[in-house]
Amino acid sequence: MTPLRLTSRSKEQLAGWLFLAPAIAYLLFAFALPIVYNVTLSFERTSPATIASLTAPFAGLGNYRFILSDPTSRKAIANTFWFTVGSLVGQFLIGFALALLFSMRFPGRTLGRSLVIVPWLLPLIVTGVMFRFLFQLEGGAVNQLLTGLGIAHHGVDWLDDPHLALWTILIANIWLGVPFFTLLLYSALQDVPMEIKEAAIIDGASPWQRLRLVIVPIILPVIEVTLLLGFVFTVKVFDLVIGLTGGGPANATQLITTWSYNLSFQQFSFGEGAALNNLLLLLALVCSPIYLFLSRDSLRRSSGADE
Amino acid sequence: MTRVERSGALRWLCTLAAAAALVLVLFPVYAIIVGSFESTNTLFSGTFYWLPHAATLDNYRTVVHAQSANVVTSMVVGLGTALLALVVAVPAAYALSKYRLRVTVILVSSLLIAQIVPSIVLATSLFIVFHWINLVNSYLGLIIADGTYAVPFAILVLRAFLFSLPNELLYAARVDGATEWQTFRLIVIPLARSAVITVAVFAFLAGWGDFIFALTILNGSGIEPITLGIYTYLGNYSTDWGAVMAAGVFAMVPAGILLVVAQRYIASGLTAGSVKG
Repeated sequence: MTPLRLTSRSKEQLAGWLFLAPAIAYLLFAFALPIVYNVTLSFERTSPATIASLTAPFAGLGNYRFILSDPTSRKAIANTFWFTVGSLVGQFLIGFALALLFSMRFPGRTLGRSLVIVPWLLPLIVTGVMFRFLFQLEGGAVNQLLTGLGIAHHGVDWLDDPHLALWTILIANIWLGVPFFTLLLYSALQDVPMEIKEAAIIDGASPWQRLRLVIVPIILPVIEVTLLLGFVFTVKVFDLVIGLTGGGPANATQLITTWSYNLSFQQFSFGEGAALNNLLLLLALVCSPIYLFLSRDSLRRSSGADE
Repeated sequence: MTRVERSGALRWLCTLAAAAALVLVLFPVYAIIVGSFESTNTLFSGTFYWLPHAATLDNYRTVVHAQSANVVTSMVVGLGTALLALVVAVPAAYALSKYRLRVTVILVSSLLIAQIVPSIVLATSLFIVFHWINLVNSYLGLIIADGTYAVPFAILVLRAFLFSLPNELLYAARVDGATEWQTFRLIVIPLARSAVITVAVFAFLAGWGDFIFALTILNGSGIEPITLGIYTYLGNYSTDWGAVMAAGVFAMVPAGILLVVAQRYIASGLTAGSVKG
């Protein structure tokens, strides 16, 4: 039944557009305009003096040439790559393990499930501060535990050793992302029909076989969406790193986001920052076709075919 | 339930494993709370105390004195972001779920993509644009920017929810002579209450916890939310760890309260936004 047929087609169109107007205006102003402006900015030779005006002299590909040759920019790009890969692997493995754990029936599972999302709700800058406190060379809980248990003889310089600092932000980001993976994978596991699981048991499948051959294929679409969103969250990470290491020591933990901030807002090279932003945007948008494809059910539903 | 799961020993083993996982998840939060009650001497002693050692409220006195105004600012920004998200998203979600419009597919795709756009990309441009139209250092500018976290999410979650609203209800309202606006205001909004609350909670937390836009759009004077206050403490050469952590605990309070009073909405919001798109 389509109730809206009662009103005339044009009236429906008009009402629909009026309901959409604020959202369209907002999206144009807060998303479309900045994205387009960022593109023009990346082709301009900006200076502190040009901030006051909206335009600056044309710079051709100069800003892009800069970000591809500047050692720190290249380091930030490489760091972003390793940070993202490491985060996804860690978040997925731990998150999936926890999701499987919480799918079992045991005393305290409901409480456990509601507490496991805590990291996801905290302001990210606070998370950065928290890990900075935990990973301090002296007086940090992590070093104290490691030396106390005899795993390390002396404190590890988690934050100021350029070789280690990237691992430190990685650990913090895995901690941050695990709840998201746990929650989404958990709810997918709940949707696996009981009969299928039981049939596999009757057929004599081992727990590992059941997981690999039955459960994973069924929840694969959710795994894909989760990994995709995890990827998007991770390439965006900014606050956490600023709070934890500030991009240091010696730029060892600069990511594209933090270095772009540094270029634009500390060196006032907005053109170079914008070029790096566009690279980041391209990286993030690479997955948008996949995301749209995975969300196709929701999109198809919108094409006017409401029940 | 399988035979194996029924065995008591395994169940308790699961409880144990879950408890161990929760210790890892919650310990950082515990540590910052303990740290916030330690004296400066203790914090710089080079030893971490697993339980509060000579607990003091000094850090909280410092923070209440220095950050109270910032907490109010964060409240205003959080509420403003929630308000903006609702005003923009509720009608849009209604139109995108219950009207047949040609623009729907394009708009929903744009919203999915908007969620992907990194904030630093928007921040760089918005800073210059806001500079031009005098929105730098303003509540309005910050709230508009913080809305980028909340608006696409809000529209998509509300839209997914509104699909479940029976069309017959809208039909009945129209038969009774309600205008489109009356139907929306008197039928749709009240019935969508739980989804509206979910969305408002998340938008509030996004505005409250925002750091990147506060850092870029509020360059310096005047308005300073608590997240920026924490950063300012960190930036000082001799970091006052006690104050940093007490301010951090302050910043965690809304999430803590909402986790207790709005658990249901939080859990549904976390899943709804991403999977149902």
